[in-house]
Amino acid sequence: MNPTVLLSLIIFAPAIGALLLAFMDGRAVSLLRNFTLAITIITFALTLMLANQFNYGESGIQFEVVRNWIPSWNVYYRVGVDGISLPLVLLTTLVSMLAAVASWSINKLHKGYFILFLLLESGMLGVFLSLDFFLFYVFWEVMLLPMYFLIGIWGGPRKEYAAIKFFLFTLVGSVLMLIAMLMLYFTTGGQQHSFNLIELAKVAAGGSEHLTSGLTPKMQITAFVLLFIGFAIKIPAVPFHTWLPDAHVEAPTPISMILAGVLLKMGGYGIIRIAFPLCPYGAYCAAWFLVAIGVISIIYGAFAALAQTDFKRLVAYSSVSHMGYVLIGLAVWKIAEGQTVNPDMWNMGINGAMFQMLAHGISSSGMFFMVGVIYDRVHHRNLNEFGGLMGKMPVYSGLSVGIFFAGLGLPGMCGFIGEVFVVLSTWNFNPALAIVAASGVILTAGYILWALQRVYLGSEYKGPHAEEITPITPRESAVGYILLTLAILLGVFPGIVFSIMNGSVTELVDHMQAGYDHAATLLDQQLQAMR
Amino acid sequence: MVGETLIPTLLTIAWLLPLLGFAVEMLYGRKGERTTTKWPAWCAVACIGTGFLCSLIALLTWGQATGWAVLESHDLHGPDQHHSEDDPHHHGDSPKHQASTNESGWQMTALTATENSDDAEHVPFPSVYSGTLYTLGVFGSLVVSIDYYIDSLTLVMFTMVTLIATCIHLFAMGYMSDELTNEYVDHFAHTSDGKHVHRPGRFYRFFAYMSLFCFSMLGLVLAGNIFQVFVFWELVGICSYLLIGFYTERKSAGDAANKAFIMNRIGDFGFLIGLMVVWTWFGTFQFSELFDSLPRDATGHIVTNDLGEVAVSTHSGESRSIPYSLLVVAGLGVFAGCIGKSAQFPLQTWLPDAMEGPTPVSALVHSATMVAAGVYLVGRFYPMFVPEVLLTIAYIGAITLFLAATIAVVATDIKRVLAYSTISQLGYMMLGLGVFGWAAGLFHLITHAFFKSLMFLCSGSVIHGCHHEQEMPKMGGLMRKMPITAGTMLIGVIAISGLAVPGLIAFSGYHSKDAIVATALAFIQANPAHFLLFLLPLLTAGITAFYMFRLWFYTFFGEPRDQHIYDHAHESPWIMTAPLLVLAVFAAGCAIGGEKGMLYMMLLGSEPVHVANGVPAATVGELVLPGHSAIHDVHAKAGMWALLAAISGTLLAYVLYGTKTVNLSDMKRQLAGIHQFLSEKWYFDELYHALFMKPVHQVAALFAWIDRTMIDRVVHASAGLMVKISKWDRFFDETFVDGLVNLIARATFSSGILLKAVQTGRLRQYVMFIVVGVVALFAVLFTTFPN
Repeated sequence: MNPTVLLSLIIFAPAIGALLLAFMDGRAVSLLRNFTLAITIITFALTLMLANQFNYGESGIQFEVVRNWIPSWNVYYRVGVDGISLPLVLLTTLVSMLAAVASWSINKLHKGYFILFLLLESGMLGVFLSLDFFLFYVFWEVMLLPMYFLIGIWGGPRKEYAAIKFFLFTLVGSVLMLIAMLMLYFTTGGQQHSFNLIELAKVAAGGSEHLTSGLTPKMQITAFVLLFIGFAIKIPAVPFHTWLPDAHVEAPTPISMILAGVLLKMGGYGIIRIAFPLCPYGAYCAAWFLVAIGVISIIYGAFAALAQTDFKRLVAYSSVSHMGYVLIGLAVWKIAEGQTVNPDMWNMGINGAMFQMLAHGISSSGMFFMVGVIYDRVHHRNLNEFGGLMGKMPVYSGLSVGIFFAGLGLPGMCGFIGEVFVVLSTWNFNPALAIVAASGVILTAGYILWALQRVYLGSEYKGPHAEEITPITPRESAVGYILLTLAILLGVFPGIVFSIMNGSVTELVDHMQAGYDHAATLLDQQLQAMR
Repeated sequence: MVGETLIPTLLTIAWLLPLLGFAVEMLYGRKGERTTTKWPAWCAVACIGTGFLCSLIALLTWGQATGWAVLESHDLHGPDQHHSEDDPHHHGDSPKHQASTNESGWQMTALTATENSDDAEHVPFPSVYSGTLYTLGVFGSLVVSIDYYIDSLTLVMFTMVTLIATCIHLFAMGYMSDELTNEYVDHFAHTSDGKHVHRPGRFYRFFAYMSLFCFSMLGLVLAGNIFQVFVFWELVGICSYLLIGFYTERKSAGDAANKAFIMNRIGDFGFLIGLMVVWTWFGTFQFSELFDSLPRDATGHIVTNDLGEVAVSTHSGESRSIPYSLLVVAGLGVFAGCIGKSAQFPLQTWLPDAMEGPTPVSALVHSATMVAAGVYLVGRFYPMFVPEVLLTIAYIGAITLFLAATIAVVATDIKRVLAYSTISQLGYMMLGLGVFGWAAGLFHLITHAFFKSLMFLCSGSVIHGCHHEQEMPKMGGLMRKMPITAGTMLIGVIAISGLAVPGLIAFSGYHSKDAIVATALAFIQANPAHFLLFLLPLLTAGITAFYMFRLWFYTFFGEPRDQHIYDHAHESPWIMTAPLLVLAVFAAGCAIGGEKGMLYMMLLGSEPVHVANGVPAATVGELVLPGHSAIHDVHAKAGMWALLAAISGTLLAYVLYGTKTVNLSDMKRQLAGIHQFLSEKWYFDELYHALFMKPVHQVAALFAWIDRTMIDRVVHASAGLMVKISKWDRFFDETFVDGLVNLIARATFSSGILLKAVQTGRLRQYVMFIVVGVVALFAVLFTTFPN
């Protein structure tokens, strides 16, 4: 298929599906389910086609499509894919597909649910594929609304609270992002203002032929901080994380899977796609701060997870902890005498961070799914009231233990590669932070093994509804097997993913150095002008 | 050369086969009748057995390829012995071979280090095969990959691991046969109503885990870079977790599994720090590149410049200065991992608890192979250790070996005695490596693997025969019921105690422990300040003999203490006793020839080059690391001391437990304080609970509290503020804005009401209004605009 059509099709296929769903009979539940599943499978297949046509040797944007949208404001429909977005696009369609399978457990207002579900998928894909800041922003908001309703209507007992908390946190981030976006828009000059992310990045490195920028290094720092807070809320980094446990606990299982599997990645993606390239100097100035926040998130999240008694809350806090590695890996950028110290290390850090996003997407959506499976049966999540499931549901327990091991960062599974590559690249940046980050491995083992022991091991099940415990169904085990297989595959052959990302990440590292050089020149000029 | 492709291929096959076995057993293990299906076990045995054959062929190929140079280079009687080296039975189970090695062994003159290095120059052979299997990631000049590194140490380890694993798999087939049922009754797991747990048997799963473990362990040995070691390090850890927790229904098993894994992770945290330093400063993980990168002068010192930095050439060709202190950090970091894995002080407490696993697991994982991996890694990474690190290793080893031995003296659970003995022996190995006895430490690793796995299997046989009774005070006199077990156990006990008639007969443990004690003596003669490093192992040699014979007398000797158990005890079936016999042969004879024998020579072939000559002190007060000749000089003396210690320990054990001359309970009462202290394992568990577990949970609760109250309070407060502002806004809206609007509306309305009166519907009246209106308008118009 023509790649230019393919990209737009990927973004809008779920939306078209949602539109078709609107004309269907809301009572034909199994039709709705199967139709949604079919749409997500088609979308996944399309992204596989995209991956197949993608040129792995090339580092820049591929399959770029540009159409006029709002010409008077220089807003374009501009989409494209590169080594950084492609893995996340694949992850999105994969997790959506599995979440569609998990959506069998939804038991009310099916039609509305599936329409919102598909709209959400469109929004997420749009975010990852947009190359126009305005378009990105629109998709960012598009994704927000379905999520709000999905939590607020199909959620648990405190769903309204959780939905509003989620919405408001994200909205605050959006507003900050909007301010930064307008800052960047109005300071670019030359031929005209621009929302083009690629050109804006080039401007920041002083290498654009079309645009000039009035953004001083100091303003860059402001813009970076605004963008960063916006994205940090999404990641979520401590202390902007408290929306996450509530949202996860209240959200229905498939939505938790998407929330953990994909939505959190948007924070990391935003940093690597927007905040870093557009404000390289700001990124450099904030690097230490970012790494420190990452380290705090790891430790804080792990400790908090250790104290939870709600199974789902524990998994939610493990997300906070695991996503800390992403922040660290992205930001281990050290400069001495104007040159990046050991750029290969930073390259490895970014690669590790990207890998960690994928790994977490697989392992944490798997963990949420596994929690959902048992919750559907016994309708509680109290860690102290489980036990003995290994005997009652052996296949389920085996799959769960496998997926939790992936979350624990066991070698040979995906979580290990991301974490350890990030940590290895951190010593170069700062030994003390590296050591604290590395100590997370102990706490992670602690909370995960302790949880496993309380849920799966032991002589008997201690909670209510013991009679409801039935073996895992083929539908459920299929999701588990797919995620577990992927976790092992990526853990054993991480090169598959690195080969996609490597070119783009190397380009980013070079770009950031150029951006720093550019800002340093500007600062020098300012200094001389003052004299 | 044929070996270059064949050896790595063979070892890779040996390594991957158990993984295949694991997959097959895990996926299809539930197929077939649960009560009779033994095929998963046979599958596991086939995999590991083939692995053994592959390793053996690889070993032979290596020998052929190198012309057995590793043996000949030190062998003054080369031609005499050559024919016997072609014999595939390396471990001396051929009588002819035994004789010839023994004979020539004792006649051989001392080998000095100069000869060693000279010969190495004359006979260049590819003693190391290394290469890359595939890459995990490439980042500019940084490459992380899966490699292999094969030298004689790798080959010996492979052969040892696969051989012992095969024996243990066979043994386990008998030991675990009570899992071949649909209704397994677990007598150690209770439900809340006090009944035993009934569950389907899990025969296949046991063998699946064992296969996974074998894969991980072999991967660890084959690893060609330190990162890969870490990968398999954690994998063996998780296998150990799964196997310790095999009886998932037992709370104690789950606790022990968690403890094992988490304590290992504490060590791995250090390991990770070591990895970070190596990665950041050397830019590579590969052994072959790392070992060449540290510059050493002719005496074996690491060359430092005036700033105390070491100039290394990294693999990419650039030169870099590394602070010496970072080398210490890297070494200590990696060693921290070894402390965790090999259950050294202060992370020793997990291993005794790990005895919750089935006994074959204890034999394979927790004595012969996995726990020895820490020792193996110290040996493997040896060229990177600076003297400060070596001294730490030695002291950790010395503390551990003494501490564990003292606890073993009072333990009454047969497996726990063996567990503490394992810790203690691992301490010996660490000590040996730390005092510059590279080959001695690893020698003991191999011999210990054989005799300790043998003893664990014997204890398994006893436990099986006594229907899961593990308390020694309930045993006694079992020699009559289970003669093979008792006999083979005695061989193991003699081997570990180091009893021998020098020059006539000596089991493996005698040779290897001698080598360590001799090195320690040479070390303290050169560094008298560290005399404890000799005193503790010497003393402990006696304690070892004491507690091992105590175990043997307690269990097999004398009169039965519990008639019920004794009456039902029986010798195990052949599938369990045959492995005992095989292992007993190796426990007795694997080190035949001592330090002139095959095994030691094989190991010596991989010794790092700077070890042979020793390292003299650069400045006064620095450590002197003894070379081969220095060790040889004190060998006879050290050996005599060690033997004396062992004999006195044995005699004491006989007097206390073999005869009835001493009232044991009286003695226990008199020594109640110390007995209590030792029984409580020096109170380490309590200490750690108070020092670490509790604080961690408190901090965790604190952080959760911060989340709930502090952060969310800010969020809620700002939300509340917003709501208040909105309410005020609403009030303003409703009272002022709306009030104004309403006022206007009300005015309009009331005027409308007023005007309603004039709306009468009478036409004439309307015309009147119009006329009046028009006139009024005109009047206004004319008065306002007069012109």
